[in-house]
Amino acid sequence: MTADVITTNARARPRARREPWLDWMVLPTLIVMAVVVGYPVVYTILLSVQDYNLLDFTPANYVGAQNYAKLAADSVFWQSLLNTAIYTFGSVGIAALLGLVLALLTENLGGARFRAVRTLLLMPWAVPFVVVAFLFRYMYLQNGGIINAVLLWAGIINDPVPWLNSAMLALPAVMVANIWAMAPFFFLLVSAALSAIPNEVIESARVDRAGTWGMIWHIKLPFLRNPLLISSLLMVISNFNDFAKIWAMTQGGPGYSTSTLVIYVYRLAFESFEFGYASAVGVIWLVMLMALAWLYMRALRMEKR
Amino acid sequence: MIRNRKSVLKLLAAVSVAGIAAGMAVTASAQEKITITFANWAAAEGTTKPGIEKVIADFEAANPDIDIVSEAISFSEIARQLVLRARSGNPPDVAQIAGNDTVLLGSTGALEPLDSYVSDELAANLKSGADAGLRDKDGSLFAFPWNQSPAGFWYNKKIMEQAGLDPENPPRTIDELNEALAAIKSSQPDVIPLAIDTTNRPFALSSNWPWMQSFGAVPVGEGATGAESEEMTAYLNWMREIAQAGYIDPGRRIGEFRPLAAQGNVAFIWDQVLLKGVMQAASGMSDEEFYETWGVTTLPVGGGKATTFEGGHQLIMFSASKNKEAAWKFIEYLATSPDAIANYTTSVNSSLPSIKSTGNAELDEVLSAPVFKAFSEEIIPTLAPQPYGPEFAAAATAVMAGVQEAVTGTKPIDEIAASIQQQLPQ
Repeated sequence: MTADVITTNARARPRARREPWLDWMVLPTLIVMAVVVGYPVVYTILLSVQDYNLLDFTPANYVGAQNYAKLAADSVFWQSLLNTAIYTFGSVGIAALLGLVLALLTENLGGARFRAVRTLLLMPWAVPFVVVAFLFRYMYLQNGGIINAVLLWAGIINDPVPWLNSAMLALPAVMVANIWAMAPFFFLLVSAALSAIPNEVIESARVDRAGTWGMIWHIKLPFLRNPLLISSLLMVISNFNDFAKIWAMTQGGPGYSTSTLVIYVYRLAFESFEFGYASAVGVIWLVMLMALAWLYMRALRMEKR
Repeated sequence: MIRNRKSVLKLLAAVSVAGIAAGMAVTASAQEKITITFANWAAAEGTTKPGIEKVIADFEAANPDIDIVSEAISFSEIARQLVLRARSGNPPDVAQIAGNDTVLLGSTGALEPLDSYVSDELAANLKSGADAGLRDKDGSLFAFPWNQSPAGFWYNKKIMEQAGLDPENPPRTIDELNEALAAIKSSQPDVIPLAIDTTNRPFALSSNWPWMQSFGAVPVGEGATGAESEEMTAYLNWMREIAQAGYIDPGRRIGEFRPLAAQGNVAFIWDQVLLKGVMQAASGMSDEEFYETWGVTTLPVGGGKATTFEGGHQLIMFSASKNKEAAWKFIEYLATSPDAIANYTTSVNSSLPSIKSTGNAELDEVLSAPVFKAFSEEIIPTLAPQPYGPEFAAAATAVMAGVQEAVTGTKPIDEIAASIQQQLPQ
């Protein structure tokens, strides 16, 4: 028996070594990927080194790194980049924390009560992004918005607050709408991860008289670390590309206070029709997204181990 | 009835032959019929949709050999879509367009020059200045004026009266306006004293341009004073003052103020001639009630002069159109036919035709209504061309972002002006 196994393994190893790095079977997938992903990426990179305006029907001019040099001195680009970072990491961080807290609070609710609460908490996730944006836009209205009306009625404020019309408040206000829509995702994910913690571990902790905080901090959070990390990275990538909510609520304004990279690229490409320069911003944006995607893949690999 | 297989076969053969013949006849008739695609936002908006659909149906009835395919595209999207379609080689035959977007499309070279289609008679009937800004450097007409819709300074007489102001004497200067705004704010805190569009889009710059000119400021184009000029900072400072005093409601599109104005919640509104129709549709006000409540005049002036902008719509024909004669027939019908003017231009679109004489007594009576008269005699003479083109679109983002910073933030005005100047196309 032992000899047979050894022989089989010995045979398997050279076969594994002979495995081609590219199997013919994956070619159709590669071709589709090349057309759907590869072509737009390569074309964007090519456009980024050209002076190409859609309104100008003459052929585009090669300008080398000129678009990238312009970008380095473009204050709107840097502000958009900063806004993107604040919007993305701020929203994801707070939504993850909120989702975690909600999941821990509702963990022990059983039966119909839990189902009702869970349904209620998940509802914002089911609302389309554009609807969320318009919902909050009308709630935030300086005159006639429900938020100001309630705050005025409660005597918390004396004058209506220009939530979306203040350069200081607009970004946090848009982030609140985003967090409201995103927190249920984390709630769902953490709830699932909590239910997957082995009962033996919980029982052992109880036998050892672990308190509520000790149980959360030393037992539950270590189990939740990987799911939270992976879902956060996924949400970071998704929020990095978020266009609908910001555009519908503020169109990047007032001024450039809520302008993110995706809004800036849209304005450059489809309002100024500067496809060359917009592509240069797009390439930088792509590089950042790829770095985030790489982190995500790494986190996935770590979890498998 | 059918006795044998042979009879059945004969019948089938006869039916087949008849069917093929009928099919060929239908195909031949379809081939004779010309299809014109018409990209427009009139069919995308609830108030104008029935009107434009009726005009199209009337045109098709009068021209049975022409089929109009109306493509409804929103106002904010149409320029983008037309540029992309022109670049990809599948533009519509005819399109509705306005403001800076008209000149943007003209600058692509994808439009058909219209001079050869315009008869001498039609050229002589065009209102003076109706085609201003619609000709390229060579003087060639790239867009035909469909209608005129300049902006006027609308004032609510009832609100003015309640504020202790003379409803028959609207403010003529910025100082008078400031006093009126203060009186309205203190007497009626729930009313929006002044409605102006402060969004960040080319239309908002067009709309705010006359306010800038009222202070003598010209941010870009010919005779530009630049963004850091004394005149521009005076304008930005004034905008900040009225925003901080709560006289304006920043961030709203002009369209969002219209229902509020119809409900009597806006004292002054800087809007186009179409406002009358929109307010009446929203409130159900009769003409008599409307004129008792609303009046319209020219823009109050600061250090500069009173001007207005042309918010009217134009019609363009793409060079790629395969049916140019039919396309022109449709353009001419929309802009000059008394039926089209009555059913769309002066009614649902509440604008003025671009021609002097409609040749229709009933229409002439409609056009002598107080609002149309005020626009024709008082406001249209203050029309001032704006430096439309690709640079205007780029400037719009920079200037309106600066205006938004001035009205919503605390950054010093000098810094805002410097930032606008830095962003302006060099």
